[in-house]
Amino acid sequence: MAPIVVMLFASINVSSDLFAHLWSTVLPEYIRNTLGLGILVALLSLCFGVPAAAIISQTNIVMGKQLRWLLMLPLAMPAYLVAYLYTDLFDYAGPVQRVLRAWFDWHSPNDYYFFDIRTLGGAAIVIAFVLFPYVYMLTRTALEQQDRNLLRASRLLGCTERQSFYQIALPLARPAIAVSLALVTMETLADFATVQYFAVNTLTTAIYDTWLGYGDFAAANALASVLMLFILFVVVAEQRARAGQRHQSSRPNTEHQRKQLSLIQQILASMFCWFLVFAGFLLPIILLLNMAIDYADYQQFTALIETGKNSIKIATYSATIATLIALTLALFQRLHQSRGRMIPVQISGFGYAIPGTVLAMAMLATFGPLDHVINDVAKAFDFKAPGLILSGTVFAIVFAFIVRFSAIANGTINAGIGQIPKSLDLAPASLGVKTLPALFRVHLPLLKSSILVAWLLVFVEAMKELPAVLLLRPFNFETLSTQIYQLISDERLEQGALGAILIVLFGLLPIIFLNRQKDSK
Amino acid sequence: MTPLITIENLAVELQSKLILSQVDLSLSKGEILGLVGPSGCGKTTLLSTLAGFIGQSTGSIEINTGDKLIKITLDDMLPPEQRNIGMIFQDYALFPHLTVTENICFGLKKITKVEQAQRCEELLTLLELNELAQRYPHQLSGGQQQRVAIARALAPQPSLLLLDEPFSNIDARLRNELMIEIRQLLKRLEITAIFVTHNKDEVFTFADKIAVMHQGQVLQVGAPALVCQQPNSWQVADFLQLGSWLPVMFSATENSLALSSLIGALAPHRIKNIGACKNAVLTNFQLLVKPSDIVLSSHEANNVIIEHIGVTEQGYHYLLSSLEQNTTLAFSQLSFYSQELFMLGAELAIQLKGEHFLLYPT
Amino acid sequence: MLNKIWFSTLVFVALIGANFNTLANDEVNVYSYRQPFLVKPLFDEFSKETGIKVNVVFAKKGMAERLAREGEYSPADILLTTDISRLIELHDKGLLQPATSSEMTAAIPAQFKASDDTWYALTTRVRNIYSAKRLGKIAFNYEDLADDKWQGKICTRSGKHPYNVALVASMIAEHGEADTLTWLQKVKANLARKPQGSDRAQVQAIHQNLCDISLGNSYYFGNMLKDEKQKVWADAVYINFPNQNNRGAHINISGMAMAKYAPNKTNALALMNFLVSEEAQEMYAETNMEYPVRPGVKASKLVASWGEFKADALSLETIAKQRKAALILLDKAQFDL
Repeated sequence: MAPIVVMLFASINVSSDLFAHLWSTVLPEYIRNTLGLGILVALLSLCFGVPAAAIISQTNIVMGKQLRWLLMLPLAMPAYLVAYLYTDLFDYAGPVQRVLRAWFDWHSPNDYYFFDIRTLGGAAIVIAFVLFPYVYMLTRTALEQQDRNLLRASRLLGCTERQSFYQIALPLARPAIAVSLALVTMETLADFATVQYFAVNTLTTAIYDTWLGYGDFAAANALASVLMLFILFVVVAEQRARAGQRHQSSRPNTEHQRKQLSLIQQILASMFCWFLVFAGFLLPIILLLNMAIDYADYQQFTALIETGKNSIKIATYSATIATLIALTLALFQRLHQSRGRMIPVQISGFGYAIPGTVLAMAMLATFGPLDHVINDVAKAFDFKAPGLILSGTVFAIVFAFIVRFSAIANGTINAGIGQIPKSLDLAPASLGVKTLPALFRVHLPLLKSSILVAWLLVFVEAMKELPAVLLLRPFNFETLSTQIYQLISDERLEQGALGAILIVLFGLLPIIFLNRQKDSK
Repeated sequence: MTPLITIENLAVELQSKLILSQVDLSLSKGEILGLVGPSGCGKTTLLSTLAGFIGQSTGSIEINTGDKLIKITLDDMLPPEQRNIGMIFQDYALFPHLTVTENICFGLKKITKVEQAQRCEELLTLLELNELAQRYPHQLSGGQQQRVAIARALAPQPSLLLLDEPFSNIDARLRNELMIEIRQLLKRLEITAIFVTHNKDEVFTFADKIAVMHQGQVLQVGAPALVCQQPNSWQVADFLQLGSWLPVMFSATENSLALSSLIGALAPHRIKNIGACKNAVLTNFQLLVKPSDIVLSSHEANNVIIEHIGVTEQGYHYLLSSLEQNTTLAFSQLSFYSQELFMLGAELAIQLKGEHFLLYPT
Repeated sequence: MLNKIWFSTLVFVALIGANFNTLANDEVNVYSYRQPFLVKPLFDEFSKETGIKVNVVFAKKGMAERLAREGEYSPADILLTTDISRLIELHDKGLLQPATSSEMTAAIPAQFKASDDTWYALTTRVRNIYSAKRLGKIAFNYEDLADDKWQGKICTRSGKHPYNVALVASMIAEHGEADTLTWLQKVKANLARKPQGSDRAQVQAIHQNLCDISLGNSYYFGNMLKDEKQKVWADAVYINFPNQNNRGAHINISGMAMAKYAPNKTNALALMNFLVSEEAQEMYAETNMEYPVRPGVKASKLVASWGEFKADALSLETIAKQRKAALILLDKAQFDL
């Protein structure tokens, strides 16, 4: 939390000159792009995720069981990686257009029309390919857990299957859709590396420009704060959307009859779902495998193990600590019902929306001075100065990750704790068991799977995260993501393909787990 | 008069398990049928099948609305929305995202807005919901939610109303009052209804007819009083808790049959349904014994022991066990009422009196 | 259960603690803007000769910020940069300290080091204009990029990239802000596509007929020629040294500097001396196809084969001074939009 406060504080001393200059030149366009990108990605994710969720949860689509989890796979793909692969693929000089030119004997861009991938639209589509699973996942769960009787009631009141879907099921899934869209928008707005490949300038671009180009830390912070305002808007909008809807389903819609699709519907639905799986996961992974096969060698493999270990190490720390914090917060809130209790969780949710680099800046701004105090104190007592034990070590990275990803852990754990009946809080006391042992004996066992899911989600995000590690890492410390990033920035992804595949494989872990857990229920 | 709904030879199979079989029922317009039976007997499945949520595997359902005949057969299983059936769910299933008015008007798509408003207004007044018209379901109490559910189900003027344990979520003290209120309403509107419950008292208060189900079959249908007087199987009598069970055995004496039990013998003429039992090849039977059928005996030896004492308006209620426990005729939990107070564990001598006993094979 | 959790918490704290860097004395710490694979062979050689271990952290963005925040407790000894403006930024923020040695004074011409000895250039690179071979040999000036005849024919990476910013800064130094803005606007109007990708991607675009000319650093040409896949791209273009008939081609440098609070000063100086040695200069220039700054050290054969060229004599410090003005002009021209 503290780093965000420090960041907001630093933005107070903003120089108006630079701001006026930016405002009169590029800032309006950046803001337009930011809003445009946010809205477009949200819309596209909606168009991809909600129909997919509806098809999987409501119909008898062929291979529905497989598609159910296949559609979640794109989550395992780091957006910057997919962005690079796609821009490379559909670029004028990319293989697709080259083949087309060779086939049709075209010679210059004037001979034919081909969509330009490096546009706002292109960026939005590709980002949506990777992020739509959030919408899909949450909407599908919402649809599947809806009270069966509500749908039955609507049928008896004269709705056809279709009408009852649109009038009851979808409106009831609205909170879930809103949450997922908020997540998608936050990820999009905070993204930098991805939009960079698309040559789309957004507010994050402006943040980097002012900070690195103009060297104006305060203005950069101010811009980051503007970005946070956008996010705040998204979060508030999401919560408004959920207000007044506190319906808990008593009988999940598990055994409902699925809609039988006609042949044409079946074909269209299958094409739609498989297209999403292909675009979001299969195509990128095939491209990566292709590269890996062409370029892999033994030496690379040994280097990979070293960097892989680092990645796993920081991801494990972050996931464990973030989960523990989320757990403590959630349990604390559960047992101390007070008005202010929701605030810490809501604020920590913003962390997710801070671009990694901005967060890293905030970390340095916070821990730098702290380190100084520690060293000064140590010296004052005639000890050897311990050095930068906070800002110059893995500690800073782990801390940054926790700030950034605690929203995920909090969300998952809170959802899990919401499922525990309130009476279970009181039952142990009635059996003479004190609060703390009760938490360990009742709540924790019940939360086991939520804890694991939260841990895995943070773990995967931490494996993928790039900018914060890049800036905060100590000497001789490479992770899979930094290595890939360096190779990408030098247009040599081929040599990092193996590492990229490794990240994706790790990303698959929670998906497989989530899926298995669903099945066993 | 042609029945409003006729169910013939209905069977339902779910995941290759027979849930309902050979169900035949018919109801006239305005009749209220109470469907009772132990949990898992298939009564909710029957409602779901009528509503169209589950398809039958054999049999047919006919609904005669007066203007037209709705036939639901294996070849043409109408979807729920075409059956003109209304339903009130146990948890009311009010749409949480719609207000009371919107919930009530939900099923009114085929009539004009003005008519909709009018119908809604009528129902709001009828169910005294006018004050709550703009509230959302979660802002209402349980009783209020139920009234909204009733208004919503009645709004499209269904020819048949299904109620799935409608009173189970209502405070016991209010329940009776509410049941009478709703029964009067249904009667006034001449609505045919089938309601499901596991509480026999609800049936006696609410229904014109009772149907007792057991293991997917309807055992007996009829007026509640008739069914109570002449239950056609021990399951019916047992579910309706008409008395306690006394194991008996046919014992052939010289030239006539007699029934023996641990509390004395019983001549066959004292058994009303002896004809139905004579043909049975079984030797073990259960005799339905109402508390009033038992009296203290002065000449018999002690034959029972008091296991439990309860206090009721009719005096003390004793549960008795036979002293002898090692025979097939041993019993426990035999109900007996007396104004006299005995000690727990006291031994008594009792005998049977009365003429109209009912006997069932086990 | 409780004990287990406490125990695992302790283990984690311990593990994190174990990661704290305990830096010994026979080490030197480098913050590098340069890619590790470019500098690693050099450091390996240095360690082999002196027994001093080199620790590297590589970052492109925010390095100066990190250094500033770390202040007097920063572990950094040496900073390696790929652009003059970074060096000047570090210098202006007071993050450097002067370092001199007879070796460095002898090896680096005055033009390629700070007047206060806070930084030294290690290699130079030219901002070239690449042109499609199909057009034939052309003599370019940077000013020609604004010519109407290149309408829709020019490709470049983002104008905000330090290499382009430095070029614009040199244009400002030469022509003044107003003329440079006009030039930028005209160049922008001539672009075949929105600025994107890297310098290599522009050459690839020429190879694919998307455009005819592009801006790019000299060493990319060599690196592309060495790469199996990219060789065809490089083969499609000529590398042209601009402004050969007037002020000369704009050059930039990669350089090194000693951090103000360098804890291992002696080792740092040893590394600096090593980097200016003939052997290191040769290696450094060779690995990335750049021009060594030390007179007498020859560029690689391949680089030499592109011919002699005349470099702009404008001082690097002057270019760096115009950096902010260049950024403002790029924003005004909305070059990247």
